[in-house]
Amino acid sequence: MPKIECSERTLFGLLGRKLERKELEELLPAAKAELDDWAGGVLKIELNDTNRPDLWSGAGLARQLRVYLGGQAPEYPFVSSASVSRDFGGRTLLVDEGLRRIRPYSVAFLADGRPIGEDLLKELIQSQEKLCWNYGRKRSSIAMGVMRGEQVKFPVRFQAADPDKTSFVPLDFDRPLTLRQILKEHPKGVEFGPLIAGFPRFPHLVDAEGRTLSMPPVINSAHLGSVKVGDTRLFVELSGTDLDSLLTACAIMACDLSDAGYAILPVKVIYPYDTPHGREIVTPFHFQKPVDMDLAGAARLLGRAIKTQEAEGALRRMGLAVKRKGEIFTVTPPVYRNDFLHPVDVVEELMIGCGMDSFQPVWPEDFTVGRLTESGLFGRRVRDLLVGLGYQEMIYNYLGSWRDLVERMNLDGGQVVEIANPMSESYELVRNSALPGLLASEAASSNAAYPHRIFEIGKVAVVDERENYGSRTFSSLALLYADREAGYNHVRSHLSSMGYYLSRDIGVREAQDPRFIAGRGGELLYKGRAIGIIGEIHPAVLDAWGIQMPCAALELDLEKLLEA
Amino acid sequence: MPTDALLKSLHPLEVKVLLAYGQGEPFSAARLEKDLAFKPGQSNQALSWLAGKGLIKEVSRQRRLSYSLTELGRQYREKGTLEERLAALLKQEGPLSLPEIASRLAVEAKEIGSAFGAMSKAGWAAMNEAKKAVLAARAEMRETGLATIRALFALFDEKEAVGEQELSQAQAELISSYSRKRGAEKGAFRTLEREEVEYALTAGGRQAFAQLRGQGVTGEEVGVLTPELLASGAWRTARFRPYNLASPPQRVQMGRKNPYVDFLEELKDKLASLGFEEFDGPLLETEFWNSDALFMPQFHSARDIHDVYHLKRPTHARAIEQPYLDQVAAAHENGWTTGSLGWRYPFDREFTRRLILRSQGTVLSAKQLPKARVPGKYFGVVRCFRYDRVDATHLADFYQTEGIVLGEEVNLRTLLGLLKMFAVEVAGAREFKFVPGYFPFTEPSVEAHIRHPELGWFELGGSGIFRPEVTKPLGIEVPVLAWGLGIDRMALVAMGLNDLRELFTSDIEQVRLRRRK
Repeated sequence: MPKIECSERTLFGLLGRKLERKELEELLPAAKAELDDWAGGVLKIELNDTNRPDLWSGAGLARQLRVYLGGQAPEYPFVSSASVSRDFGGRTLLVDEGLRRIRPYSVAFLADGRPIGEDLLKELIQSQEKLCWNYGRKRSSIAMGVMRGEQVKFPVRFQAADPDKTSFVPLDFDRPLTLRQILKEHPKGVEFGPLIAGFPRFPHLVDAEGRTLSMPPVINSAHLGSVKVGDTRLFVELSGTDLDSLLTACAIMACDLSDAGYAILPVKVIYPYDTPHGREIVTPFHFQKPVDMDLAGAARLLGRAIKTQEAEGALRRMGLAVKRKGEIFTVTPPVYRNDFLHPVDVVEELMIGCGMDSFQPVWPEDFTVGRLTESGLFGRRVRDLLVGLGYQEMIYNYLGSWRDLVERMNLDGGQVVEIANPMSESYELVRNSALPGLLASEAASSNAAYPHRIFEIGKVAVVDERENYGSRTFSSLALLYADREAGYNHVRSHLSSMGYYLSRDIGVREAQDPRFIAGRGGELLYKGRAIGIIGEIHPAVLDAWGIQMPCAALELDLEKLLEA
Repeated sequence: MPTDALLKSLHPLEVKVLLAYGQGEPFSAARLEKDLAFKPGQSNQALSWLAGKGLIKEVSRQRRLSYSLTELGRQYREKGTLEERLAALLKQEGPLSLPEIASRLAVEAKEIGSAFGAMSKAGWAAMNEAKKAVLAARAEMRETGLATIRALFALFDEKEAVGEQELSQAQAELISSYSRKRGAEKGAFRTLEREEVEYALTAGGRQAFAQLRGQGVTGEEVGVLTPELLASGAWRTARFRPYNLASPPQRVQMGRKNPYVDFLEELKDKLASLGFEEFDGPLLETEFWNSDALFMPQFHSARDIHDVYHLKRPTHARAIEQPYLDQVAAAHENGWTTGSLGWRYPFDREFTRRLILRSQGTVLSAKQLPKARVPGKYFGVVRCFRYDRVDATHLADFYQTEGIVLGEEVNLRTLLGLLKMFAVEVAGAREFKFVPGYFPFTEPSVEAHIRHPELGWFELGGSGIFRPEVTKPLGIEVPVLAWGLGIDRMALVAMGLNDLRELFTSDIEQVRLRRRK
């Protein structure tokens, strides 16, 4: 979940008044936000809604709270739409045909009229980070550059450039590198290069004089692409693979800068191919379609009657433009939001707008029968018997290492479920047996008074080609008896008592198992089917675990034993 | 003054010592063995216990020698010494040469030589003109000598060790001659040196003596009540030794359920008692059920390789259940018949079969929908896997508690009622509040925050009403409340722990000691 930092000055300045801590904490849920910390004039706030990137800046959060507290939804007259096209002042951005399959979309605008201060520059960088990292999936669907607008000459071109013949001085460097060299030598090139490295040509943004602005989505140029405190004109460009996300992010940046006192100057983007919104788009651009909500249906879902007037007020508090025809509310999302897929999305706005406190809990009344799984109940019977036999129940993690689950068990690992992207060697397999957990306990517990009688009932998974999922998960019972005198006979007796009280006749057949001493290990049989193993743990296994106490053990498939 | 508890804590052996030497005469371990017929172990125990309680004190310490038999000595005791056997042979057979004797007794010539030497020196035997050994003429002398040897060995019939003060002059000489002659290794006797300590009662001991005498305690009181005492009726006249009931008991290793499992099982019982039916499922899941069915777009950031575990083996499920696959795919692409715009991207049917480790319990809620009853309440307490670095607050695998409620008339207010029920019944909270939340698969979404008796305010769980894009493609036309509870923090508090890793510890002793509040 995104966390942001913003200065008290920005938030309360844009909100129009200062709030006490308690007031702020009570207000933040309207933006699904929580206050993490407030110290030294800086607020740390966690935003829970991953579909609301407009809230991930001080300006955006202030906008939401300001309107919620009774303010007017702001007007942003620089926004164009399918029906209204704003004056773009001759500023155009030309997209090259070659980008169609590489990074097809780019949108842009200028922000003009105020020298940029350190605070705002810091917040701009944070917004850019959050939008591109969280919302833009680590720059793959959205990358953004903020550049020195004073010097950019239009038309700007977004072109597919030859990576070996094109070069410029990237940010933080003092010599020119080819686009391909940047991928290898620049830290940002190493980090984001993989997004474009597979294409024959790389995205390249240049101005009318052929000067490099940036190489999206990797790095800006050191000259036009490096904004400095005191600059009064910013060129903001966003490129990516999903036009609607891009337009949303573009609007968020424009509205934030507008709220900060900048005049937003639109740019017309001209595509040589069709886009969902045509070949020519003046950006920022409002593409969001209105959504119809039926108040009666909404009231049914929310559990109480809601008057039309209350509903209208509530939706407006949420910053939504509302038109009503009888019970049907037509809601147009603001330009900076793209999270309305279904009328239920408006219902939630209605809920927050009405206030959570206006909905009283109702005790659930439908009668339903409570029930536990058969396998879980059977497991409980087994637990009770083993506790009676003097065993301590254990519970372990399900992920383990190749070393513990395979090597130390003297196995070949043929049936083990393997993780493709393990976080560490310790968690690279899903356990195929609960025995290694018990042996790990024994290895870690030589100081605990003997005898050790321990067991676990838990899930294990094994590869099984016959299953749809290529694997089978089942409940397993494993127990271990470690003591100077521990041997097969003890464990066999315990199994026999358990089987008696479960009314299940469990047999044993000698079998080769590298985990057990030859001639002292076998398979457990139930109704003629092998359901588990039993035996004295092989000294080679004990040695591999560093255990110096004889151990006898068994493990069985409780689900096979459950079948009556 | 010895307390009553101290007197009761006295073992019968201690009582006997106090009673026997109450007049003040000193005593030693050896004396106890002689006077009170204690075994050596018993006397040492009684003395150390009494000294520990301050009832007796050491008055003197003396070095004492004693002797025990070696392996050779035991052979001599059973079969006779070489001298005895030699004498017996000569008596029976008449004069024999030394080599003849050696071969008859199956002993090395060298040993026969030295035994014969000792005998002739003592005047029991001599060599005749034919260089054959004969017994000395003076029978009484040789009989006395042999009797001395026999008597010496007979001392060891009863005892392991014989003190030097118990030996006659002749016996003492004999022992030293055996030791000298044969050398330390092959000697018949082993010399033991020990200190003999003498004790006497302290003032406290004398008072204890007086009190014991006053109470008529003899040390013969019955300790353990045996079946024999019951059968014989001897219990009727027996006096039972009182126990010190306050003495600390021995620790017992008992069989026991794991307290964390117990916590989880009680949670399940609680939910079942509230009318919920339990569900369960495999650890490996498809992308389809884990996320697609929950209307999380296939490009959603929480589905990326850094958030879920992908599998190297097995990699894909063979097939996804129909018609759910087609309906879910359509919901993603264009909203299907749900009234939604959908996510508007081409749904990847290869990707949806891919197997991962279940990353959220909600998977099972989604899987339950096609087979759910209306009205219905379901839950699961299931293990989930997260791509997280393991530390005190993150585990690679952990339990999630999740469920659903289906009904014609369920709505936001019944959802709040459900959360209130969990707050009160499951978490034992009296104060709670609801705030808007966010989950990709519910709309609206609500978080429940509670004031826990020990943890203070925290988020008990998340919930919401499943989006129609989730329910309709899975064949459900009524609203479905979905909820999840964060119970691990409550589990930690219940067991007095503060590190999630401890819930799954390997340490047997820790688990044995762990208990719930």
